[in-house]
Amino acid sequence: MSTTSTETPSAPGPGAPLEPGAPRAASLAGAWRRFLLRRAGGLVVNLALLVLVTFLIVQLIPGDPATAIAGENATLAQVELVRTQLGLDQPVIVQLGQYLLGVVQGDFGDSFRYRVPSLDVVGAAVPYTMTITVVSVVLLLVIGIALGMAVGVATRGDRRRWLDLAFTGATGVISSVPTYVFATGLVVVFAVTLRILPPAYSPAYDFGTAAILPIAALTIGGACSVARIVRRETAVILEQDYMRTARGWRLPALSLYAKHMLPNLLTTALTLAGIILTALLGSALITEAVFAWPGLGGVIVQAIAIDKDYPVIRAAVFVIGLISLVITLVIDIVLGLLDPRTLGEQRG
Amino acid sequence: MADPTTAVRAAGGPRTFAWNPALVIGLVMLGVIAIVAVAAPLAMGGQATGIGGTPNLGSTPEHPLGTDTLGRDMLARTLVATQSTVLMAAIATGLSAAAGIAFGVAVWLAPRRIREIGLRAIEFAVSYPTMLVAIIVAAILGQGVVQVVIAIAVANIAGFARLTANLAAKIASSEYVSTARLMGVPAHRIALRHVLPNMAEPTLILIAGAFSGALVEISGLSFIGLGAQTPAFDWGTLLNDGLSKIAVNPVVILGPAVALTFTSLAALLVGDGLAAAANPRSNTTRARLERIEGEPAVQDADAVLVADGITVRHGVTGRTLVDDVSFSIRRGEVLGIVGESGSGKSVTASVVGRLLGEGLSASARRLQLGGTDLLGRVPERTLAEKMAFVYQDPGTALNPALILGIQLSDVLRIRLRHSRRGAFGILLAGFRAVKLTDPEGRLRQYPHQLSGGMKQRAMIASAMSVKPELLIADEPTTALDVTVQREVLTLLKRLNEESGTAVLFISHDLGVVRALCDRVLVMKDGRIVERIDDVRSLSQETVTHPYTKQLLAATPVVSVPVAADQDEVTA
Repeated sequence: MSTTSTETPSAPGPGAPLEPGAPRAASLAGAWRRFLLRRAGGLVVNLALLVLVTFLIVQLIPGDPATAIAGENATLAQVELVRTQLGLDQPVIVQLGQYLLGVVQGDFGDSFRYRVPSLDVVGAAVPYTMTITVVSVVLLLVIGIALGMAVGVATRGDRRRWLDLAFTGATGVISSVPTYVFATGLVVVFAVTLRILPPAYSPAYDFGTAAILPIAALTIGGACSVARIVRRETAVILEQDYMRTARGWRLPALSLYAKHMLPNLLTTALTLAGIILTALLGSALITEAVFAWPGLGGVIVQAIAIDKDYPVIRAAVFVIGLISLVITLVIDIVLGLLDPRTLGEQRG
Repeated sequence: MADPTTAVRAAGGPRTFAWNPALVIGLVMLGVIAIVAVAAPLAMGGQATGIGGTPNLGSTPEHPLGTDTLGRDMLARTLVATQSTVLMAAIATGLSAAAGIAFGVAVWLAPRRIREIGLRAIEFAVSYPTMLVAIIVAAILGQGVVQVVIAIAVANIAGFARLTANLAAKIASSEYVSTARLMGVPAHRIALRHVLPNMAEPTLILIAGAFSGALVEISGLSFIGLGAQTPAFDWGTLLNDGLSKIAVNPVVILGPAVALTFTSLAALLVGDGLAAAANPRSNTTRARLERIEGEPAVQDADAVLVADGITVRHGVTGRTLVDDVSFSIRRGEVLGIVGESGSGKSVTASVVGRLLGEGLSASARRLQLGGTDLLGRVPERTLAEKMAFVYQDPGTALNPALILGIQLSDVLRIRLRHSRRGAFGILLAGFRAVKLTDPEGRLRQYPHQLSGGMKQRAMIASAMSVKPELLIADEPTTALDVTVQREVLTLLKRLNEESGTAVLFISHDLGVVRALCDRVLVMKDGRIVERIDDVRSLSQETVTHPYTKQLLAATPVVSVPVAADQDEVTA
C-alpha cells in the first residue's frame, strides 16, 4: 500500500470509461513538488546560516580572538601565528570570502593540534556518534511507541488504574535520570559489578559489545519519554470519530490498533522523533565522555576545553548542524509519505 | 454521539484549578531542594571543602557516601553543590524565559513581513540541538560557570520564543481578541491584557520542563569539563570526579546522580501536575448493556428491528439519559427519531448499534435484529454484516491517515472475507451507485482530498457495501450545507427503496425527517413523547404533544420526490 502516488492520476478502469470533462480525483504530485521545492530552498538558507554561524564562532570571541585562542602563556610570535592561520589579520569581509571559499571545497583549515585538515579529524569521529545515535533512535521509537500504545489501549477510559499509576511513576522516574547519569549507573552495574560488558571503548573490545552500554543509556530514558507522550496521544486518538467508525465496522483489535490507529500516532511520534533525535545528538555528545567513546563529543570537547582548536570546532559544529538538518528533512519526508496532510504545512 | 458529561462540564462555569498528587509531591520536592540549597552551604560548607580526611573512602557510618580523592565528604559536597547547581539552572531558565517570551511577543506584534522572518528565525534555531547551541556559545566565551549559564540560557531562548509565538497566534485568532481589536484596543494593551494572561498555563509547564532541561544540560557541560572549574563545583563536576574512581569506589557517584535525578523528577512532576490541573480527567466507567425482564411493550411479528424498553444511565452520576424507549422497524422502512440535542436520540441509536459510549450503562427487555438477539453474545461478523452506520460529520468519521480504498474495504475483507480485489469491486460499484466521480481515483485518495458531500457519499457507499439489514444514520446531513443535504437525503431514500434496507434515521430537524421517513418518533428528555405513524398527513391537528406542535411550527415543509435520481428536493 504505497502512499506516494507521485505518478499521474489513475487511468480509468476498463469497465468505467470516463466521460470527457468529468472531474477527476486529484493526485498528490503537485503537493509533493511544492513541498520538495520549499524544503530544498529551506535547506539552502539553513546551510548558508550554518556557514555564517561557524564563521562567527571565532569573530565573536570577546577581546582579541588571536590572544584568547593562543592562551595566556603564549609568546607574541605564537599569537601572531594563530592570527595568520585563522586569517584574523585581514578585513572581516575578506576573511568571510576566504572562509566561504574553503567551506565550499570542504576545507575548514588545518587542525592546530593534529596538523591535518580539520574536516578529516571530525569525519573520523562521525561514524562512531552516528552509530549509537541512529540505533538508539530506532530502538527508542519502536520501544516507546509499542509500550505507549499498549498502555494507552489497556488503560483507555480509566481501565486498570494500577497500570496507569505504575506506568506513569516508572517512566517518570526513569526519564528524569539524565542520560550521562544513567550511563554511569550502567557502567557501575554491568562493567564494575557484574563485569559482563566493557566499561569504555577500546580497540581491545569488540565494537558491538562496546556499543551496547552507550546505546542502552541513550535509549532507555528516551523510550520512556516517548512512551509517555504516545500513551497520551493514544488516549486522544481512541476518542476520535474515525476510531468509532472503525469499531462500527466491528474490526478486530489488531486491525483497529495497528492499521487504523498507528498511522495517526506515527504522525505525532515522528514529529517527536525529529526533536528527540536532535536532542539525542546533544545527549550523545556528553554521554560519549562516560564511555571514552571516540565520537564527535570527545572531539569537540577536547577542541574547546584543551586545545582551543578552532578549525576543528568550526568543522564539528558545521557537521553536527548538517546532520540535524538532514535528519529533520528525512523525517519530514517520511511524515509526508505517511500523512500527506503535513505536506501543506509551512515549515522550515 | 455526544457524551453529556462533557457537555455539562464545558458549560459548568469558570475553570477551577485542580490540585493533584503529582503537583503536590513535585512542589514538596522542590521545597526540600530549596531548603537544602539555602541551608547546606551554611551548615556543611567547611565539611564539603575541608581537606585532610581519609581519601577514597567507601561507604562508612561517618561518610555514608564516601570521600573523594582529597578526603572530602561526598554527602556534604553533594548537598552543598545543590545551591550552585540549582541556582545556575534557575538563572539560565529565567533568562531564557524572559528573552524568549519578549522575543515571541515582539515577533507577534511586529508588522507582517518582520513577523514572517522572525518566525522563520525561531524555526531555524529550534531545529538545532540545544547542546550544540550551548557548545557554540561555550566555544565563543570559553569555560566557566557564567559562560555555561549564558550558553544554556541562549540555547533555550528559541523554545520559549516558539511557544510564545504559537500561543500568541492561537490567542490572536480567538474571538475575544478579535472583538478587542474591533473595539479599537491598541496592540500593546491586547498583548498585556488578553494574550499574556492566557499564556500563563502552558508557559509555566514549559518553564518546569526547561528548568529540568537546563539542570541536566548545565551539569552535563560541567561533567564534560566545559562548566564549573575547580575549586568551584556542582553536581556535574562531582559526577565527573566520581567517574574517574568508578572502578575502585563507585559509591561516590551516588550523591550527584541521585541529586540530579531527584531535582529533575521534581520539575517533571510539577510540569505534569500543572498540565493535569489545567485539564482534569473525568471519571468514567465501562459501557454495559444488559437484559432486564418485564412485559414486552412491542409486538411486531415482521419487524427487522425490535427495541423494547431501552434505558440508559450515566455510570457515575446515575442520571437517566434514555427512559424506557421502545420501537420497531420493518423491512424497507425508514424510522425517524427527532428531538433536540440531549434528548437521548443518539444514545438510543448507539444502544441499537452496540456502540455505547464509555461511562454509560444500558438495559433493554428485548433488542433483536433480524432474528439475532443483540443483548446476548453476538459474533462480530454478524454485527458487521447486519448493520452499518453513517455518522454526523464525515470530516472526522473517516481516518485522515488512510486512503479511502484501504479503510472502507477493511470491513469487507476482514469481516465478510472478501478478497482484496473483490472488496475493491464492491466498493467501486458502491461509489458508482452514490454517483461519485472517478471512483477508481477516489479509492486512492485521502479523505482530506474530498469535499464534505463526497466524503458522506463515500461513507454511505461503504455502509451499504455490506448489504446491511439495518442502516443507522445519526444526523447524516447535519454537518453538510443545504444543497448537499438534499442530495444525500435523495440518495439515502433511493438506496433504501432499491435495497430494502431498514433505516434508523436520527435528526434534530423535523423537516428533514418528515421528508424521508415513513414513521417518526419524537423524543424529549430521554422519552418518546409522540409517535407519528402517518407522516404524509402530518399537521398541527394530527399531533398531540405540545413539544411536537412547537417543532412543527418551527419547521418549513420539505418533500423528497422519489421517482428518479435527478429530482430535486423542494424546500
